[in-house]
Amino acid sequence: METNTITNATPKPQKNMSPWAIARRKFVKNKLAMISLAYLLFIIIISFLAPYITTADISLVNIGQMELPPSADHWFGTDKSGRDVFTRLLYGGRVSLLVGMACTVAVTIFGTIVGSIAGYFGGKIDSILMRFTDFVLNFPFLVFVIVLSAILFGEVDGVWVLILVISVLSWGGVARLVRSKVLTEKENEYVLAAVSIGTNPFKVITKHLLPNILSTIIVQSTILFANMIVVESGLSYLGFGVPSSTPSWGNMLKASQESDVLQHMPWIWAPPGIVLVLTILSINFIGEGIKDALNPKSYR
Amino acid sequence: MLKYTLRRLLGMIPMLLLISIVVFSLAMFMPGDPLGGEIDPTNSDPEYIEEMREKLGYNDPIHVQYWTWVTNFVQGDFGKSTQYKVQVSELVKSRMLNTLFLGISSIVITYIFAFAMGMTAGRKAYSKLDHFIGGLNYFGLAVPNYIAGVVIIYFFSFKLGWIPFGGSHEIGLQPGTLEYWISRFHYVLAPAIVLGALSTASYTQFLRNDIIESSRKDFVRTARAKGTSESKIYNSHILRNSLIPLITFLGFDIVTIVNGAVITEAIFTYPGIGTLFLNSVNNRDYSVLMTLTMFFSLLVLIGNLVADLLYGIVDPRIRID
Repeated sequence: METNTITNATPKPQKNMSPWAIARRKFVKNKLAMISLAYLLFIIIISFLAPYITTADISLVNIGQMELPPSADHWFGTDKSGRDVFTRLLYGGRVSLLVGMACTVAVTIFGTIVGSIAGYFGGKIDSILMRFTDFVLNFPFLVFVIVLSAILFGEVDGVWVLILVISVLSWGGVARLVRSKVLTEKENEYVLAAVSIGTNPFKVITKHLLPNILSTIIVQSTILFANMIVVESGLSYLGFGVPSSTPSWGNMLKASQESDVLQHMPWIWAPPGIVLVLTILSINFIGEGIKDALNPKSYR
Repeated sequence: MLKYTLRRLLGMIPMLLLISIVVFSLAMFMPGDPLGGEIDPTNSDPEYIEEMREKLGYNDPIHVQYWTWVTNFVQGDFGKSTQYKVQVSELVKSRMLNTLFLGISSIVITYIFAFAMGMTAGRKAYSKLDHFIGGLNYFGLAVPNYIAGVVIIYFFSFKLGWIPFGGSHEIGLQPGTLEYWISRFHYVLAPAIVLGALSTASYTQFLRNDIIESSRKDFVRTARAKGTSESKIYNSHILRNSLIPLITFLGFDIVTIVNGAVITEAIFTYPGIGTLFLNSVNNRDYSVLMTLTMFFSLLVLIGNLVADLLYGIVDPRIRID
């Protein structure tokens, strides 16, 4: 396999290309990843431009237009309160993607900080931080998120509670991964050289170690992004996520818990389900694409 | 191995204590009055309420309350459910059996599907069938279980009428009879498949890659050179080597099932501890809530322990660490 790929390899990139340029070139050639990226960008743009695309009021309860099947007026029909499903889908995407992104950013930053400090300093600091990480990882995630959001619900604005709760309970995996990467990376001579000329630890971590493990972190955070969207929608589906007054893909799916909606009105729950699955699939494909592009051993 | 097991078991104790403190403080922070069911709701006399609070120990200092709760918990006294007015232990016991049944069915189904698909895909690597199984796996990993559940109920219960859409068995059947068990299995099938989808996909992927890797090794070439039949090479020589790392997944399965049970049971309205838990959060049934949160944490700890111990059995180097 190994020898095979090398002999069939495309001509090697020019000497003066940076690693990022090589990666970008490889990524652009990956059709599946590019299609996924296009889809994801499309969803993000139409979700965030929702107020300019549709003029319908999302909270308006329209008794005259309840449970209408899809038509020219209402592309995806209306739900049990007479709200336009298409409009809610756009606004819902805004919330779901926002929660997903915010959680990913928070988890990645916090996990990276904890992991790199634990890995770089080692010894006591490492063992204390890692015990703490183990502790967080040992919670049954969903159960604690539900209990925590039940407590905090109503105290602060719903969406931010959810972001906070999810982030607090899910940074453990990133911390472990970053720590293990830092542990192997810090054995290299360039780190020793930096330390021996008196570079302070903060600078060694941010200027020397992190850029070298950045590719792992980027790949991990793509996977996280998909997971966070799944978590948000799952919690909203159960009724412990985004408050039901705010539309999100999970909240829309929640309607399927009523058996007459599930049985007779698929246009209410199918659109958010399909969009959600496609979004997660496309994020996964993008993640694979990035992983492949950043892997110096792969030529394709 | 014994020393390693003991060390791992002892390591669980501080974790359990910490988790119990967290669970207790969370219950303290929950909104609303935890008295609910114990007090006669028609009697709003402040003196009566105060008396009951005193009697139930809600006026004790926090650490005393915590200690009472922990000692009772260890002895199997989980208090009384404020919603159902029965002992929590009884409530949990019947529901726990349902969840256990669901979990075991899900693991069995996972193994059957994963072995069938993984072995086929590994043996016929890079064929159309392999790509098909690979695509199926992608869906298994990407489709969230609540969407899979909803789609399954829509098509198989409502459109085709093959499976029931909720509950754990048909009403009116005598427990213990053959019909009763058949009906239970019929009801558990769909939730178990949904619950096991994620594990099935990762098992299949792992098995496939491992079989492909093994099939290039020297011992396989030797076996081929000796004239061993292809099916024997795959079914006994290669599979035996791939099974070892696969065993260690079992511990993580327990963790996946604990997390997945809450959501899967909610989709299929399956009366297990997951639905009981969601009910207790919604109804502020604190004794049930605290007991179940402790149970879930305990199960996750046990799952991680099992994973660690199995690693220790498979790879003796880990034991020294």
